[in-house]
Amino acid sequence: MNHIQITASFGSLDLQVDASFANQFIIVSGENGAGKTSLLRCLAGLESPRGMLQLGDKIWLDSSAGFNLPAQQRQLGCVWPDAALLPWLSVEKNIVFGADAVNSQWLLALATQFEITALMQRQPCMLSTGEMQRVSLARSLYRKPAVLLLDEPFSAQAPAIRQRLRLCLKGLQAELAIPVLMVSHDGADARILAQQHWHMRAGKLLLSLADMQESSRKNKGGKR
Amino acid sequence: MLESLFISLQLALITTIILLLLALPLAYALAFKSFRGRTVLEVVVALPLVLPPTVLGYYVLLMIAPDSAMGRAWNAVFDTSLAFSFSGMVLASVLYSLPFAVQPMQQALRSIPVSWLEMAITQGLSFRQTLLQLMLPAAKGGVLVAAALSFAHTMGEFGVVLMVGGSIPGETKVASIALFEMVEMQQQSEAWMLALILLAVSFVMLSVVYTINRQGLQMGMGK
Repeated sequence: MNHIQITASFGSLDLQVDASFANQFIIVSGENGAGKTSLLRCLAGLESPRGMLQLGDKIWLDSSAGFNLPAQQRQLGCVWPDAALLPWLSVEKNIVFGADAVNSQWLLALATQFEITALMQRQPCMLSTGEMQRVSLARSLYRKPAVLLLDEPFSAQAPAIRQRLRLCLKGLQAELAIPVLMVSHDGADARILAQQHWHMRAGKLLLSLADMQESSRKNKGGKR
Repeated sequence: MLESLFISLQLALITTIILLLLALPLAYALAFKSFRGRTVLEVVVALPLVLPPTVLGYYVLLMIAPDSAMGRAWNAVFDTSLAFSFSGMVLASVLYSLPFAVQPMQQALRSIPVSWLEMAITQGLSFRQTLLQLMLPAAKGGVLVAAALSFAHTMGEFGVVLMVGGSIPGETKVASIALFEMVEMQQQSEAWMLALILLAVSFVMLSVVYTINRQGLQMGMGK
């Protein structure tokens, strides 16, 4: 199991999250400014919240002991709103950026799944925003991360490709057996991907899986 | 004339190499770190921009004089004087051109998008990897501009090298001082030639700087 128990202040936002989860696909939704991105940044080690973070048997954060594992050592895969592709590297070099050795089989598998095989030798300036986003998805998975943090990874994707990407991410999550936290406003993402659905408001989690099952049972019951 | 030009080129080249090595950590600290004495450091680095070169030269001369601590240490190790020597001029030139090396690098480092740096961190890159694979390639234009400006600025020094070097022919008499002495001695044709060469060097260096800056705007800071 993985445990998050953190508090942090970002301007007017007081983030306060207490949750446990298995290596599941978690959709995080909520209004703008609810703290979704801040939560992901805390998990990525880009912020220093108070409290405790435990992923599997690894402690990432224990602020009472003054311990905060550097982001570099968290084995993360991240997709942020800015694809942050380096303009002087080809798409392929961007995907393997920072990796010690190139695993060409895995690279090809990811490129195929994210539909970017034809783009591999191009420079990022020749890509559309949607293509950049898919490259950044491939990059996040290339190092086979222990945790995947996705901040609206489909925001620039056309509806037709979103469904294929969902299935592809679902398959990769199962294959790697890692927790995935994905911020999304798209109800279809939650329906298809969510094994847990966290809804955030003003820095707090409102809904857990149990709540969601409960409410969906009630909804179905009501319709009959 | 050729001798003085050669000394100038040698001085500019050595100064530029030292400056690139010295300016990078300074530029990094000023671009990304907040620490006590940051403003003081920034002012000290920028001082040569506004200080009369003779003032800087005077203080460097005091610092390296044979009876100063540094002068004595130098003498003990190398058995020669630092004042009125080529090495003394290198030291003075490094200080004099420091802002021309630090500031372009500092700006280039500061203009690297935070999202790129965060991407590198979350991709697991160590500081060394981030420096070599992200920061330096991203700030390449700034480093080249720093090199070109340091070189050109050192070539054009007068007051500092005169104070510290003392215009010893074949050792510390650089082209700009040679030009002054030529004019003084009414050697018009030689002065004309040397001035033209110095003008050409500056022109080429600045052309390099502007070309890099334009390419940087087109390519780097897009997406």
